[in-house]
Amino acid sequence: MSGRLKLFWRLMVKPLGREPVRTTLTIAAVALGVAVVLAMDLAGDAATGSFHSSLETLSGQQDFEITAAGGVPEEIVGKLAELPYDWRITPRIEGFALVADSKRALPLVGLDLIGVAGRIPLPLTKPEALDKIFDANQSSFEDLAKQDSVWVGQSLNKTCGDALELLVNDRALTFTVRGVYPDDAGTGSAILMDMAVAQAALGITGRVDRIFIRIPRGATNSLDEWQRRAQQVLPQGVQLRAAGASTDENRKMLAAFRWNLRLLSYIALIVGAFLIYNTISVSVVRRRAEIGIARAFGASRLQVLLAFLLEAAVIGGAGALLGVPLGRFLATSAVKLMGNTVNALYLSSRPGEITLDPTSAFLAFFTGLFVTLVSAWSPAREAATSAPVEAMARGRVEHSVRVNKTLALGGAAALALLAAAMSRLPPVGGKPAFGYCAALLLVAASVIAIPAFTDAIMRISSRIFSRLLGVEVLLASRSLAGSLRRTSTLVAALSTAVAMMTAVGIMVGSFRQTVVLWMASELPADLYLRPAGSPATDQHPTISLGFSDQLAKLPGVLAIQRLRGYEISYEGKPATLASVELDDSHIEHSSDFLSGSSAESVLAELREKNAVIVSEPFSYKHGVRRRDIIQLALGESRATFRVADVYYDYASERGMILMDRNVLLNYLPDPAPSNIAVFISPGANPANVRAEIERAADRASARILVFANSDLRMQAVQIFDRTFAITYALEAIAVFVAIMGVAGALLALVIDRRRELGLLRYLGASSGQLRKMILAEAGLLGLLSNIAGLCLGIFLSLILIFVINKQSFGWTIRLHWPIAVILSGTSLIWLATVLAGWYPARIAVRLNPVEVIHED
Amino acid sequence: MRTDLRALGALALGFFLPLSLSFAQFQPALPGYRFGFPRDYFNHPDYQTEWWYYTGNLQSLDGHKFGFELTFFRQGVSRDPKQNSAWGLRDIYFAHFALSDLTGKKFFHTERTNRAGPGIAGVSLSLQKIWNGNWSVAWADGEERLTAFADSFALSLALHSQKPPVIHGDNGVSQKSAGPGRGSHYFSETRLSSSGSLTIENRKYSVTGLAWMDHEFFTHQLEANQMGWDWFSIQLDDHTELMLFQIRRKDGSIDPFSAGTFVDAQGRAIHLRASDFQLSPAQDASAAETWSSPVTHARYPVRWQIHVARLNLTLLVTTPLPSQELATRSSFVPSYWEGAILLQGKKNSAAVAGSGYLEMTGYDRPFSVGEF
Repeated sequence: MSGRLKLFWRLMVKPLGREPVRTTLTIAAVALGVAVVLAMDLAGDAATGSFHSSLETLSGQQDFEITAAGGVPEEIVGKLAELPYDWRITPRIEGFALVADSKRALPLVGLDLIGVAGRIPLPLTKPEALDKIFDANQSSFEDLAKQDSVWVGQSLNKTCGDALELLVNDRALTFTVRGVYPDDAGTGSAILMDMAVAQAALGITGRVDRIFIRIPRGATNSLDEWQRRAQQVLPQGVQLRAAGASTDENRKMLAAFRWNLRLLSYIALIVGAFLIYNTISVSVVRRRAEIGIARAFGASRLQVLLAFLLEAAVIGGAGALLGVPLGRFLATSAVKLMGNTVNALYLSSRPGEITLDPTSAFLAFFTGLFVTLVSAWSPAREAATSAPVEAMARGRVEHSVRVNKTLALGGAAALALLAAAMSRLPPVGGKPAFGYCAALLLVAASVIAIPAFTDAIMRISSRIFSRLLGVEVLLASRSLAGSLRRTSTLVAALSTAVAMMTAVGIMVGSFRQTVVLWMASELPADLYLRPAGSPATDQHPTISLGFSDQLAKLPGVLAIQRLRGYEISYEGKPATLASVELDDSHIEHSSDFLSGSSAESVLAELREKNAVIVSEPFSYKHGVRRRDIIQLALGESRATFRVADVYYDYASERGMILMDRNVLLNYLPDPAPSNIAVFISPGANPANVRAEIERAADRASARILVFANSDLRMQAVQIFDRTFAITYALEAIAVFVAIMGVAGALLALVIDRRRELGLLRYLGASSGQLRKMILAEAGLLGLLSNIAGLCLGIFLSLILIFVINKQSFGWTIRLHWPIAVILSGTSLIWLATVLAGWYPARIAVRLNPVEVIHED
Repeated sequence: MRTDLRALGALALGFFLPLSLSFAQFQPALPGYRFGFPRDYFNHPDYQTEWWYYTGNLQSLDGHKFGFELTFFRQGVSRDPKQNSAWGLRDIYFAHFALSDLTGKKFFHTERTNRAGPGIAGVSLSLQKIWNGNWSVAWADGEERLTAFADSFALSLALHSQKPPVIHGDNGVSQKSAGPGRGSHYFSETRLSSSGSLTIENRKYSVTGLAWMDHEFFTHQLEANQMGWDWFSIQLDDHTELMLFQIRRKDGSIDPFSAGTFVDAQGRAIHLRASDFQLSPAQDASAAETWSSPVTHARYPVRWQIHVARLNLTLLVTTPLPSQELATRSSFVPSYWEGAILLQGKKNSAAVAGSGYLEMTGYDRPFSVGEF
């Protein structure tokens, strides 16, 4: 046993200490890979798991929830309360408000506080929070009768009696804080009001947003029986579901998004895996002689295998261990970036607490370790299987790479074909599983092809560059070609990172361009108005109808178009239902439909029949096509609609259903619009019209925001860029890991070739020449990787755009080449690679030729 | 009648309204009020405070004895016509529900508070119904049907009034203190034969018995020098009934506005003044005279002596279950003792017995406006 330990120590651990920089770099690469995976996991939980958390806290433990498009008729509350069961009925108004001084958007919750005070029903999981509200020291029952009473969370830093100005819809309203409750540092914060006050603030009449039912504890009847009992007083269009069902829907909606981000986060780890492979390969090659001796003295194959695996485990374990706290640290920034995306594309959420649970931590650690061991397996096995005599000889591996070149190219071609086939397959459970397989196969194909590719390029470079740039580059090319295996691994690592960057760059660039072009056709109006209250993808604050009527009569206004949005649930998934005015002859419509039909013919159908158009993501998610019939629960009724067409939409990943304003008003009679598009008369001065609108808003005390067409587009693009910030960050980390690998590998190269370098010095090479040679190697590595990465990246981008994106989100993205972005990205990477050679070059220059020559 | 002290006790919510405002929005109870039925069984929104009290003694076929209390309150908050939301706070409705398992010696009670909201609670002549969630009284086919559900107990009774409603006080008003408007409109159904069922802890009993209904509405609230009151509803086995109450002042004296009503077998009412009767805790050293609440620590006298000189009537009041205190969980509604009682005594030298209900308030703490 002690002999084995000694062997392990001699063979594996001691060399690690001899090359502290390289070991550190490899450990750091693993650490970063693990950290990114963990950070995305934690941030995903925090950013997506916390939406509506305050609403959930305020709802307490409930069994059922009742919802309806446009709100539940409030008489249902009374009907449920009268049924002969000892259940608790908790109606709730849900809205959002913007705190005027801090611009913080908070849920606005209306509860029946009279019933709460009588302890029936009790809507909080933490009743002590509500007890505080009615604490005699804070506020008394009489405050309930006042129309300006609000209760707020501690994180708002208000005390009883303070005034609180809120922007709700298009109104600025002043309330008085009657009580403060503990809100877990803001994650559970909401503005709490009595039902009557909340309805008045939000301009709701006759409806509540949700009714919760809590059945008696210890009840013997089945949940189905309770559901049936409640169902008897519910009209058709009203939905009864298990409490939390809408939250689950939201989670499900975010699942694909999280899945994609999570997979993206593995890129850094995969790049790290290449580096581990490289490190262990180098160890094996370098210690070939020692392995031979150890084997000759009786060490078994298993011992050698274990020794190298242990070395990998030490590196991987150390990296993974460091990666866990680093991941927790990175999660903080990731949450912010991810929160932006969730808010822009899905629903309003506020990032919650990041909690590093042991499961996630262990999972990340063991993933890191596992990836390390898998990457080390092949070089370790090779060390173990080589016969002692062979091991002591040099050159076999490099030889074998050359021999198998044709085979490797054939294999790569086969894999690429398989990838092409897989990209044609449909999604599995809504996830583009085959798309990802295709991407992985392409990466594998490129890895297999890279030795041949490297060899070919090096032959060319040794001919061309050496003539142009001198003998140093010739030597660099030869050296890289000479240690083909090591070079290939490095190129594979860096090119994978470059490819990912290129692919995502092309996808995002194409997407961006598609959105920009789409906006040009979809945003024809001159000015767009929305309420100053909290806006979000899943919130539709409204502008008062009276003001919108005034607007149409202002001088210089040719026409206005009112849009009204509602959040609904369509077949178990959240969707946005919107209505738009279609009957104004002044407005020219230019929407783009999948069928290619003209906007006029489609819109004519919308005006005349019970017809809707649906967005492309909606169509994709629900398999709804043109001419299909869909059923929508609207208000109290269920109604059927014909799908007139599917339109391109990039505004939100939530599916959209659009219908004529007059049609929707039949079902949901609230006429207040959520947005207004204003068309300016020809010849009128847009600035004057805008000023006129703002003055009219002032007179009507309507708090609205006016966007010029160009502002709105700019804002949309900004949101778009913010949305993809997280993907850029992930790529940057992957590239960083790869460049660290290049630096480490070059260092190893320098140390391995110190005899050769010493000899070169001995033969009269200047230190400048040596530096140039090492930097040339770095530059060549960068060049190889960039070329290979670009080629791979272009193919990957096609898979991303046409398979993975389409299957995950349903968007049709038109391909555009963001050439400038990609070129500048690759140039930066190339520069960074060259710089990565700077430290190894310095080491090489410092070598004492006499010493290294006599080393052996 | 029940004094307006009780109004304050039970309808503590009224405290937050300045009296001047109350008077501006609500009208006082003045003499000359003409009762009309069934209209007056229902709502009187012009008065600020109104309640419907049902109490009674019940028995199952196998002799298991029970008492019940189901009360509905309405407290006017605002009559501002600008309130157009169903959730507007025009009135607050609250209700108490208690069952006394007199044989099993257990007391169950619960309470609820609501606003009318979209049909959550209310009083409706057109629907012939008073309700608070799924607790209700409904008039149908000459019956009053009581239903109430709580977590571990429930009640369902049909009541038939054997006598016409009895109007308390003088000229339609039950005066409470000196001055016009300082009184209430108050009537009772003093003999309601009851049958139905009740459930206690998953066991259902078919029951019959006698119930009593009180309905009172007014605007003027209490004077400040009063401590609490003791109120009796008594149904004697000679087919007569008696209602008596006395207001205890803070200085220990009995308020001269204490009063009562005797209802003879034919249903005729005789108004009793404070000077016509005496109510006093029994001075009987042998038996437990008081019961101390473990929750509120109030000491309630649970044995009483009643002497009505004008009727030549003497009664000893005892209770089969001393622990009938409605200890309320919320600090807004005071706790009180309300329970089934048994009566034994002499009327014109002949032995007489009966059953009834006793209510005692102000034993845990005196209450006055705003002290909650």
